Amino acid sequence: MIELTLYEEAMCCSTGVCGPDPDDELVELSAALDQLESSFDELEISRANMQHNIDEFLETQRIYDLVQENGPSILPITVIDDEIVAKSAYLSYDELEAALEDRMQSQEA
Amino acid sequence: MTTTTTDARDIVEPSGEETEFVFFSGKGGVGKSTVSCATATWLADNDYDTLLVTTDPAPNLSDIFGQEIGHEVTAIDDIENLSAIEIDPDRAAEEYRQETIEPMRELLGEEEIETVEEQLNSPCVEEIAAFDNFVDFIDSPEYDIVVFDTAPTGHTIRLMELPSDWNAELEKGGSTCIGPAASMEDKKDQYERAIETLQDSEKTAFGFVGKPEDSSIDEIERSAADLADLGIESQLLVVNGYLPESVCEDPFFAGKREDEQDVIERAKTEFDADAMASYPLQPGEIAGLDLLADVGSVIYDGDEATVEVGSGAPAGPAQELDIDSLTTPDAVADQLRPADGTRYLFFTGKGGVGKSTIASTTATTLAASGYETLVVTTDPAAHLEDIFGEPVGHEPTSVSQDNLDAARIDQEKALEEYRAQVLDHVREMYADKEETQIDVEAAIANVEEELESPCAEEMAALEKFVSYFEKDGYDIVVFDTAPTGHTLRLLELPSDWKGFMDLGSLTKGAAPAKGDQYDEVIETMQNPDKSSFAFVMYPEYTPMMEAYRAAEDLNDQVDIDTSFVVANYLLPEEHGNNAFFANRRAQQQQYLGEISDRFDTPMMLAPLRQDEPIGLDELREFGEEITGLAGVTDDHKEPVTQS
Repeated sequence: MIELTLYEEAMCCSTGVCGPDPDDELVELSAALDQLESSFDELEISRANMQHNIDEFLETQRIYDLVQENGPSILPITVIDDEIVAKSAYLSYDELEAALEDRMQSQEA
Repeated sequence: MTTTTTDARDIVEPSGEETEFVFFSGKGGVGKSTVSCATATWLADNDYDTLLVTTDPAPNLSDIFGQEIGHEVTAIDDIENLSAIEIDPDRAAEEYRQETIEPMRELLGEEEIETVEEQLNSPCVEEIAAFDNFVDFIDSPEYDIVVFDTAPTGHTIRLMELPSDWNAELEKGGSTCIGPAASMEDKKDQYERAIETLQDSEKTAFGFVGKPEDSSIDEIERSAADLADLGIESQLLVVNGYLPESVCEDPFFAGKREDEQDVIERAKTEFDADAMASYPLQPGEIAGLDLLADVGSVIYDGDEATVEVGSGAPAGPAQELDIDSLTTPDAVADQLRPADGTRYLFFTGKGGVGKSTIASTTATTLAASGYETLVVTTDPAAHLEDIFGEPVGHEPTSVSQDNLDAARIDQEKALEEYRAQVLDHVREMYADKEETQIDVEAAIANVEEELESPCAEEMAALEKFVSYFEKDGYDIVVFDTAPTGHTLRLLELPSDWKGFMDLGSLTKGAAPAKGDQYDEVIETMQNPDKSSFAFVMYPEYTPMMEAYRAAEDLNDQVDIDTSFVVANYLLPEEHGNNAFFANRRAQQQQYLGEISDRFDTPMMLAPLRQDEPIGLDELREFGEEITGLAGVTDDHKEPVTQS
């Protein structure tokens, strides 16, 4: 089982389809996560944004400290299991896929 | 106490051990509070422990019961078994917002908190907060029955249902436009139970209160159908305020009464309710326990109504107000004419105040005096076609009046257009990234699903609304806007969205280009040389208070001042020459004075007509009777006079 967790800024709508123009980055991300979910069996994805899931931030010390120190510009933070794999920007589908494969190999090893 | 059993009684009277609920739905000014108070009083008098809950933003329970009632449950002094509470919906929404924001204060700076606050300033949040009020009282075992003077709309209920529909989405941790609801996932069970209670016709009675007017009944039928789709049955219809036979002594009022009776008959045959009752107009406002008891006994015991013709508001010419001192036609006309490019005229007000007729009359008169004019309705219940007696389409259509076009925003079409636009955008985005491993079709299907949200509807309406600011070639664009709350939603959205975009731009770089377009629209609306906002009302307490609140909101939230007010349905001097109408007239004049004091703007006065104007000839004719409109014509014909 691999856990992929995204800590994101306060936002209305994580799918990006909300507002006069859809948010390209978020639309892509949502699609990427959906596709990852279907291609990796043992993957559990969760997204926490500061507006709707503030508890996740308050209860995860590492994330809390990072935001406390750097402000919300450090978001989004991408975590695979316990490892922070990206800060301040979303990873693309290809990057996420590569990071997950790395993780699986190290698990198997 | 009589022993007659009416259908209304069967519906409202509690039948079991568990607490039951009664909801009254209806527009402001139709007597919803009166009927709710009368129902609660009647139930208490019949030995049921009763709680009356009002969420009216400008409650007048204290006038009705002659006692202060506030944010806490208060026992009514003179009625055993009755308690009441007034919930301020604004305060409730603010509390909800603060609850959501509080935990973020630890992590976010002042500026970021403000941005989130702005985000939460959405109509969705207000609806959720309002629904919470209801949820809070669903467990009230100490009462036999709880009477609400307001009811959730189909829209609100759909909003509350979404969290369960979108369960899958929530489990993934994703959130949607109605995010604030999602954040309260722990409340989901409570919401589900609340909706179940609403759908249970044994426990819950849904009633509508309306006026004996076609538009009022039409609107009720629409709302009831909307609720029926959600499994909620409307059981009771109360038609309030028909003209009593004994006072209609001239053809003008006899004719009006006849029309009203036809509407009541029509409602009886058409409206699919288990029970229907009606109550006459009184010479004054309904206050005090005697009149409440009268209302209750008519509806639930089948008694005859008591109308004491000479009673009510103090009558007499001594009270008479100098109408001319209230308003100057020139001051109104100045707000109508273009001053700096196209003039945008917004008529706003609750349903049933005659807004569409005033807007159409204004547009027709302005067009007839030479201005290129477009009249647009954003009201889903618009009856522009009926008013003009000609077809009016989704795009501006010319009507037979020279210089005049009309358009009706079709919500469905606007939504389709918006969906198409978003999907095109997404397709284009992926087209630019050919080498991606992403399944583009799945991604698009995903977006399509997202577009099924109520937010998409709002966005679609907004897009359409904004597009009318870009129509060239008009001297004047008249908006016959939707009922006040909805109007504000539309008008506020540009600011709200700007907030969203600014927030987005914190991480995403430049804000989308649309931000600028909305900025321009907001600036145009704020500029009194370009835009005029008019509140349409009739001179009675609730319509006045609703308009006043809406005007304050507009000012607080979007920084727009009211340009003028329209006082409609003024009782003509030449008809209704008896004590009853003298009382009604005195009451109107009292409120005209209050409106003038409160709003402190020019006033456009429009008389009550025997029939609504239909067709261009009648509209032009009606224009002659309205303050400021005749002035516009004259002024334009002689452009050399002062401007």
